[in-house]
Amino acid sequence: MAAPVTVVGVRHHSPACAGLVAATIETLRPAYVLIEGPADVNDRMDELLLGHTLPVAIFTSYRDGERTHASWSPFCGYSPEWVAVTQGRASGAEVRFIDLPAWHPAFATRENRYADAEERYLRATERLCAAFGMDNADTLWDHLVEAAPAEGLADRLSVYFETLRGDSAAGAADLEREAYMATWIRAAAARDEGPVLVVCGGFHRPALERLLATDDSAAARPAMLAPPPGAVGSVPEVPAAPRGCHRPALKPPVEACERNAATPEVPAPPPKAVGSAAEVPAAPGGAAWSVSEVPAAQGGAVGSVPEVSTPPGGAVWSWPAVPAPPPGAVGSSYLVPYAFKRLDAFHGYQSGMPSPEFYQRVWDDGPEAAGRGLAETVVTRLRRRGQPASTADLIAARTMAEGLARVRGHAYPARADVLDGLVSALVGEAMEAPLPWAHRGRLAVGTHPVVVEMVAALAGDRVGALHPDTPQPPLVGAVTAELTRLGLDVAGARTLDLTDGADRERSRALHRLRVLGVPGYQRISGPKPGVDPALTEQWRLADDPNRLVALIEAGGHGATLADAAAAALLERAADAGGRADVVADVLFDAALCGVAAVTGEIVASLRRAVGGITDLAQLGGVLAVALGLWRHDRLFGAARSEQLGEVIHGGVTRGLWLAEGVHGGPAPADLARLRAVVAIRDGLRHAAEALDIDRAAGLAVMARIAADAAAPPDLRGAAFGFGWSLGGGGDPARAVRGAAAPGVLGDWLAGLFSVARDEATADGGLLDVLDGLVGAMTDGDFLIALPALRQAFAYFPPRERQRLAEAVLARRGIVEDGRALLRLRADPVRRARAIELDSYVDELLRTERLVAP
Amino acid sequence: MTTETRRDAVQRPPAEVRYADELVRLRETDDGERPPGWALSLRAARTFIVGDPDAGISRKFVGDASLIDRALVTLATSRGLLLVGEPGTAKSLLSELLAAAVSGDSTLVIQGGAATTEDQIRYSWNYALLVAEGPSTRSLVAAPLLRGMAEGRVVRFEEITRCPLEVQDSLLSPLSDRMLAVPELSGDDGLVFARDGFTVIATANTRDRGVNEMSAALKRRFNFETVFPIPDLATELDLVEAQASELLARSGVRVPPRRDVLEVLVTTFRELRGGVTERGDTMERLSSVMSTAEAVSVAHAVGLRGWFLRGEAGQAADVVACLAGTAAKDNADDLARLRRYLEQQARGHAGEQWQALHAARHLLPG
Repeated sequence: MAAPVTVVGVRHHSPACAGLVAATIETLRPAYVLIEGPADVNDRMDELLLGHTLPVAIFTSYRDGERTHASWSPFCGYSPEWVAVTQGRASGAEVRFIDLPAWHPAFATRENRYADAEERYLRATERLCAAFGMDNADTLWDHLVEAAPAEGLADRLSVYFETLRGDSAAGAADLEREAYMATWIRAAAARDEGPVLVVCGGFHRPALERLLATDDSAAARPAMLAPPPGAVGSVPEVPAAPRGCHRPALKPPVEACERNAATPEVPAPPPKAVGSAAEVPAAPGGAAWSVSEVPAAQGGAVGSVPEVSTPPGGAVWSWPAVPAPPPGAVGSSYLVPYAFKRLDAFHGYQSGMPSPEFYQRVWDDGPEAAGRGLAETVVTRLRRRGQPASTADLIAARTMAEGLARVRGHAYPARADVLDGLVSALVGEAMEAPLPWAHRGRLAVGTHPVVVEMVAALAGDRVGALHPDTPQPPLVGAVTAELTRLGLDVAGARTLDLTDGADRERSRALHRLRVLGVPGYQRISGPKPGVDPALTEQWRLADDPNRLVALIEAGGHGATLADAAAAALLERAADAGGRADVVADVLFDAALCGVAAVTGEIVASLRRAVGGITDLAQLGGVLAVALGLWRHDRLFGAARSEQLGEVIHGGVTRGLWLAEGVHGGPAPADLARLRAVVAIRDGLRHAAEALDIDRAAGLAVMARIAADAAAPPDLRGAAFGFGWSLGGGGDPARAVRGAAAPGVLGDWLAGLFSVARDEATADGGLLDVLDGLVGAMTDGDFLIALPALRQAFAYFPPRERQRLAEAVLARRGIVEDGRALLRLRADPVRRARAIELDSYVDELLRTERLVAP
Repeated sequence: MTTETRRDAVQRPPAEVRYADELVRLRETDDGERPPGWALSLRAARTFIVGDPDAGISRKFVGDASLIDRALVTLATSRGLLLVGEPGTAKSLLSELLAAAVSGDSTLVIQGGAATTEDQIRYSWNYALLVAEGPSTRSLVAAPLLRGMAEGRVVRFEEITRCPLEVQDSLLSPLSDRMLAVPELSGDDGLVFARDGFTVIATANTRDRGVNEMSAALKRRFNFETVFPIPDLATELDLVEAQASELLARSGVRVPPRRDVLEVLVTTFRELRGGVTERGDTMERLSSVMSTAEAVSVAHAVGLRGWFLRGEAGQAADVVACLAGTAAKDNADDLARLRRYLEQQARGHAGEQWQALHAARHLLPG
């Protein structure tokens, strides 16, 4: 006889689900609690219960010849899985994780086992949101689960998840995981030592039930199991809809309706994704839907399932084997500290429910107190920041929140009610970006500062800590071993030659420690972004008492130095908030660390950030770094990478866009701006074909700038040189004449020479025109033009300047070495001033008729 | 003459007439608690605006449902409601729907403007009677605010920030003390107290001289609700298609607008409005208004050009020609931005109409 199986489907990180799990354990007193979690840590379950400060996570790393993967299974106090572990243990049950290990290929694209914002049921949630008049899946969830009365919760959850599953296609990875979890459940049931409780993601619950029921129907055994004592509420109940609005109830599947005569509607069952022939067997009337009991297979029934076979002579069933990493691959799991910030969907990448601090309070103090505490926390935070938030505002916020709760049919203000109330009361002006809780995802740029503060207050800043007895994360040992291997385990100064393979490896290790914030590794000199590459690096290594602590903390990022550094860099890129210069720095650090695997992601965020740059000079810097890496980087392997190509593509487009927006009258040449034009030109010149950049559009923009009287002269000159150097453009002599005013000429030429020096040198006619223009200047005009002219000609190296000087002399019939002209003994500006004084005196003498005219 | 024919003669009847049957049905089935002076309960009012297909109530406002919740709760409290946002985001429509739902009447409207005076807001006099009889309730001509207070109804104040500051401030005492003094009248007539159901829904434009010109005292008496442009392309496209088709039919154009051309048009508007392309590239926003309403008028113009010049539905090239007038108006910077957009961003989109749009970029003036 097999033991009854109860499957509780949960949303990860939901306090209401955690409460349901606790209540079910209390009433069911299960012999086995089986939890969706990595099965490879089962033999180290005790480590989880050492008494850590939550949140903590099981961190899994994997590495084989082709793929490396790092993933986390985070737990906080109100995680249903955590409650299942702790309460299950406390009630004397045997607790097991039953899901595939996180390194398994089924998790290849997931970094957070308990993430839920998934594309696969977007369609279903959109439909439900529309039906309930909710903004998004999170408010819908609050409405149906967190802020709804506890009675009937299990039924609602069941119907909700059945709808999600019925509407979405489960991937091969899901099916594989479910098949594996089912083997554990069968094994536990077959042991027949008492009820079996399964806690899994709600998405998997319908499938697991069908899998187990299939076994059962295969055995042609009538489903006759009684519900467990005290099974939770039987009538599916949905919180009252706003009156007058007929709310289409969450459609319970047919089986539920058959069991529940009380359900008024009998809608069509959602299409089943799995095992459509299998129906959950009907149970005697009044059985709970939520916690569904599926009679587990008998020994004979599962004979057909290959993974589980009947042990001879009624011996105790063995648990399914935990898959081992393939030969040559390393996969391991460790406990690491985690943080609320990483749990929060507003910030994190692949995270679960938003606002962990809020739900922690719901779990600790109940929903009513949580709402009130939240409003107070927000107001306190705002006052600390010097933002006005009066008592009257607080009262208004509470009135609003309570009113909203009533309209939306909540017994007490839910998360969105409190937030909506606060925003109504506290934001007294138009907002630039929509409210973040109305749409899932990252905070939009331009979100009102009060709203940002509110979101931060709800996310909280709790950081987990491991109990001292916890085995150290693998990173600690890996780092020690690597430093010893590289001979970097002794304090002192080091000089590294980057062209040498072994030294480059040392440099990368040290850079990785640096980006992980491990103290004691200081770089004195070495390559920097935007300057000519340095080939040596100097480091100072010192012993630091905080080194071990920092390494344990960094252990949450990865198991090896390279992985951890890569993850830390990714996080920094994500936290940059779209500031391209910061992301470019991260990219450069990634190149220094030699973590090619994540360069792609960092480049992707750089690509997004490039579009947001508003300063042409800054863009020039980023574009130059990207172009340099794209063209030349053999060292770090970024050359010709597709993503860098996209950065360049985006940078060139953005640069053209920005350049045309620069207006202003004559002003000294802005060298950074000119460098940006050069970077754009280089982008077009070297990458236009490879990256499909529209050359014609670039030339058209620059031609317009060159002809735009409102653009500053240096930019106009550069724009003209841009066209000239790319083989287009107009007549240079004519263009110079157009910019011949003494206050403009030098800056215009600086622009031209910065972009098209070679073309200008090769063109003899240009020098003629220039010579003529300068020769015709009065001494006063010449003095005005001189400083900028000198700056312009500084773009020429001495040898070219000498050639120019000789050409000018030749025009006057003098054949002489021009070098003497380049070495002036007196300051040229002072000489020019003297000349001007002379001419002034001459002029004065002439006007006073003291000399013959 | 029946009501029906009179309704037909009116160009645009108010919301409570257009949706009279829905309001009647809601009132019949409404068993929720009504705030004092309200025609419907909060939940029924919400349903009236966000719609409920099962009950035959149409969706009248495209936007977050939570915005409607906040607006309705605000109206039930003692603060006024101020809807702010870009022009063309259906603020006035929303204010009309809210007033129709709350009071069953959306006609107490004050249109704000530079020439709006206190007389038009509070009350004025029938001067013939005033001269003949002196000040009396008979010679008093009540303006929307006085009527709204006396009858307990919602008063709509359109474009409040376009009024001079001192005129706006005439709302202060009605909103905080809930009374209005008529000093010319003596005795009880000299004070009008607001009855239950009175509140103010104001609208203001973020482009128009700015909301900042409201006094701090008045700001405190309003809850601000920002109305955003339609968040998703499909909804906006449907809306533009429906409205443009209607306008074109009325103008005698016998072919419907092409969906692919409209998609190019609406996407262009959305990208120029938000400053972000579909691919995620950010760019400068246009400073002129790129609202859904403007998109409808461009779609209308495109259809007219196509039909009356060439006898077909209008092409992407027509979009370029019409954009210059709407999007750039007389702003040279916007014209330059538009040109850059067509030159650099339009090319990045796949599709025949996008390429046609890119190819037609030279049709921009200047």
